[in-house]
Amino acid sequence: MPLSANDFPVEEHALPNGLQIRLLRDGSLPICTLYHFFRVGSRNERPGITGISHLFEHMMFNGSKKYGPKEFDRRLESAGGSSNAYTSNDLTAYYEDFAADALPLVLDLEADRMASLTIDDASLLREREVVKEERRFRTDNDIDGMMDEALGALAFLAHPYRWPVIGWMSDIESISREDCERYFRTHYAPNNCTMVLVGDFEPAAALRAIEKLYGPIPSGEPLPTVPTGEPPQKGERRATIRYPSQAPAVLVGFRSPDGRDPDSLALDLLEAALSSGEGARLKRALVYQQELCVDAHVWFGWRMDPGLFEISLKLNPGVDPARAENSLWAELGRLCDEPLPERELERAKNLVRAQLLRGLQTANGRAHSLGQMEVMLGSWRAMLDLPDRYAAFTAADLQRVAQKTFAQYKRNVVTLIPGEVPG
Amino acid sequence: MNSDVALPPLAIDKLPSGLTLLAVQKRGLPLFHARLSLPAGAAEDPRGKAGLAQFTVDLLRRGTRRRPAQDVDDLIESMGAQLSAEVSMEEAALALTVPSELAERALDALLEVALLPSFEENEVASARRRTVAALQSDLDEPASVAGRAVVTLGYGPGHPYAHPAHGFRRDVETFRREDALGFHATRYQQAGALLAVVGQSPPPELLEFARKKLAQWQPSWPGVSQRLPLPFGALAPSPQMRAVVVHKPDATQAQVRIVSPGLPRTTPRYAEAVVANTALGGGFTSLLVDAIRVDRGLSYSVASRLHMDRRAGLSVFSSFTKNETLRELVDVALDLMTRYAKTGPAEDALEKARRYLAGLFPLGLESHEALAEQIADALLDGLGLDHLSKYRSRILAVTAEQARSIAAEISPARDGALLVVVGDAEVARKALTGLCPIDVRHLEEFA
Repeated sequence: MPLSANDFPVEEHALPNGLQIRLLRDGSLPICTLYHFFRVGSRNERPGITGISHLFEHMMFNGSKKYGPKEFDRRLESAGGSSNAYTSNDLTAYYEDFAADALPLVLDLEADRMASLTIDDASLLREREVVKEERRFRTDNDIDGMMDEALGALAFLAHPYRWPVIGWMSDIESISREDCERYFRTHYAPNNCTMVLVGDFEPAAALRAIEKLYGPIPSGEPLPTVPTGEPPQKGERRATIRYPSQAPAVLVGFRSPDGRDPDSLALDLLEAALSSGEGARLKRALVYQQELCVDAHVWFGWRMDPGLFEISLKLNPGVDPARAENSLWAELGRLCDEPLPERELERAKNLVRAQLLRGLQTANGRAHSLGQMEVMLGSWRAMLDLPDRYAAFTAADLQRVAQKTFAQYKRNVVTLIPGEVPG
Repeated sequence: MNSDVALPPLAIDKLPSGLTLLAVQKRGLPLFHARLSLPAGAAEDPRGKAGLAQFTVDLLRRGTRRRPAQDVDDLIESMGAQLSAEVSMEEAALALTVPSELAERALDALLEVALLPSFEENEVASARRRTVAALQSDLDEPASVAGRAVVTLGYGPGHPYAHPAHGFRRDVETFRREDALGFHATRYQQAGALLAVVGQSPPPELLEFARKKLAQWQPSWPGVSQRLPLPFGALAPSPQMRAVVVHKPDATQAQVRIVSPGLPRTTPRYAEAVVANTALGGGFTSLLVDAIRVDRGLSYSVASRLHMDRRAGLSVFSSFTKNETLRELVDVALDLMTRYAKTGPAEDALEKARRYLAGLFPLGLESHEALAEQIADALLDGLGLDHLSKYRSRILAVTAEQARSIAAEISPARDGALLVVVGDAEVARKALTGLCPIDVRHLEEFA
């Protein structure tokens, strides 16, 4: 059953400067969420300035022409709102959740920083230190982070997905103010942005305010082409990390198609079959039956360019990683050799559909879903027929995609071995 | 923003058994949510059995008297649902969300799991091994270790809240089938329980549906059991500040917590406590965020939090920084929070905190899950619906004098505060020299 367009009366507008606007009114609670999705992430970087997209996300909160340093969040919180942002390989998203009557202020704050962000040496110096702390927290002192970083560098040779979103430490230390200014001019123009507003507001008045505030911002130059070439993988690749952890771990990545490829939806279903819920195949086999792992988890997200289908095994202390790997290969082999039984296929479809619905419960969830569909699939409308597209997959479809994805020569394996690095 | 937020249509019924029924109508998405709260929280863990409440909840889905574990998983997940099983200090809560048309199947599944666990010997043994392995793995997460140290040391020996819900490895290793059976028989009681259902139907219909379903399951509840009152005494801070350093080899960053006794969620001064804490260390423009992150770039994350449970609470400062700036971060935080305890917030910070909390409050009522949890907790805490329906006006009415007078009670930096550092012990010991007595502990102690 598709989602009903009647439940999503989205208004679509575009300004002459290229800004895309999506408005969805919902007066059930006196709140709004505003998202700005910029089509810039770590894939738009180059060696030497890796991490600049993420560092720049931090810089966006440090003042602009009308609202000086510290003012963005101070004004927002004083009006009953909060803000946050995230950077991925493909995009940077900024959002505010706020009391509905704060909408004029929130639009003014956002338009002001898009029009006239202040980038000075002092704030760059401070923000650089904050980002370095974030890197120490998420990567240098975190097993998942350090393994994920190693997997990217192993699986990609040429594509910018090779480096971590947060960037290499030496690059974070050397990004200059001029680099930031150039980045802002190139990637933060209205023609590279989709705005999504969901909540308790009057659409005509909101659109008038948006036109007035954002209309004068000039569009930017055409965006530089991203070097998306990546040679085909011709054999299994391996990397090892030694770290004083309590237990070994294994992270495996298989190259996957880009988010617009229909096979990505099949991989969503395979993800559910393998690791969503306690009855998923990997959990059942590796966690409950064989007791090899504390957790077995798949992560797969749509990307603009061909990405990775990742499988993380957190091993029980003392378990030989080779043993856990062999069990994993056996489970993946089963997906390739035998069609998923009807019961498991339905289970996977129901889990994916329910996840989609649950993600639409909140204003923030709806705004995020609409924006993500716009950026990744080209239109928010793609969301409406997603349930039907998932429902149409057969067990044979999933088997075909499994065979294509999980071939032995396509494995990228990072192993964490407990212990110190000598010296 | 100045008006209170109306709760959605709802109905409440208290059954003779002592179980509370809550029905909430939520229009929009065709979803149904059920949440069963039981008076079986971690505070009920017997002495020497820390983690038993969590262990019991984890075992519920590992087989019922009607079907083995795998079939329980299939029963729940074939509906597209994932069963949430959580333990707070006071309650165990089971919850799931399904498409509306599966409401009856979902509620039956929830009650079967809650009331008919089989606790098969092999599943108990397997769960014990899994839990022990997970507790050891958790030592790789410095923030998790810090959290475990905060509750254990912050509440102190003998306090019912003085252990993490997942318990300690040394206790979990002793768990036997009889422990889980006994805990289930005596704590999974209707008196003090609450069943919440949230769906598209009007509340009387939802209530009737839940009432009928409970009547069908009535014979499956454990018999009535009396329990002894828990020994809740006032928290006694130590006479002077002390530091506990948990040694994590090779850490290049130190996790920092500063802990003092706090307030329970049932305090009549809830609104002023929350406002005063928000000005100090909530949101993104608090005094602590300004001083530590924005002005000095010392950390990515900094906050003060009120760990409020029903019968006790802690005030906790939380941050992390590279080894080289550990002392600077601790000094800045202690200085700022000590001054704040005396002065409270300035007028503009107070106004910002009030409006921030009031404006964002409806976000906590958006999803089916959040509605059920918020209303259930307010009822179980004995705070009533006013706790939510009058939240905004109470927050906006907090005066400068009230905020000032409570600042000393919610600031984590007070005489006798506890400093917890998880990081390289040698680095931390050098950094903290001269500040207060330092006690270095092994990581394993908190497994």
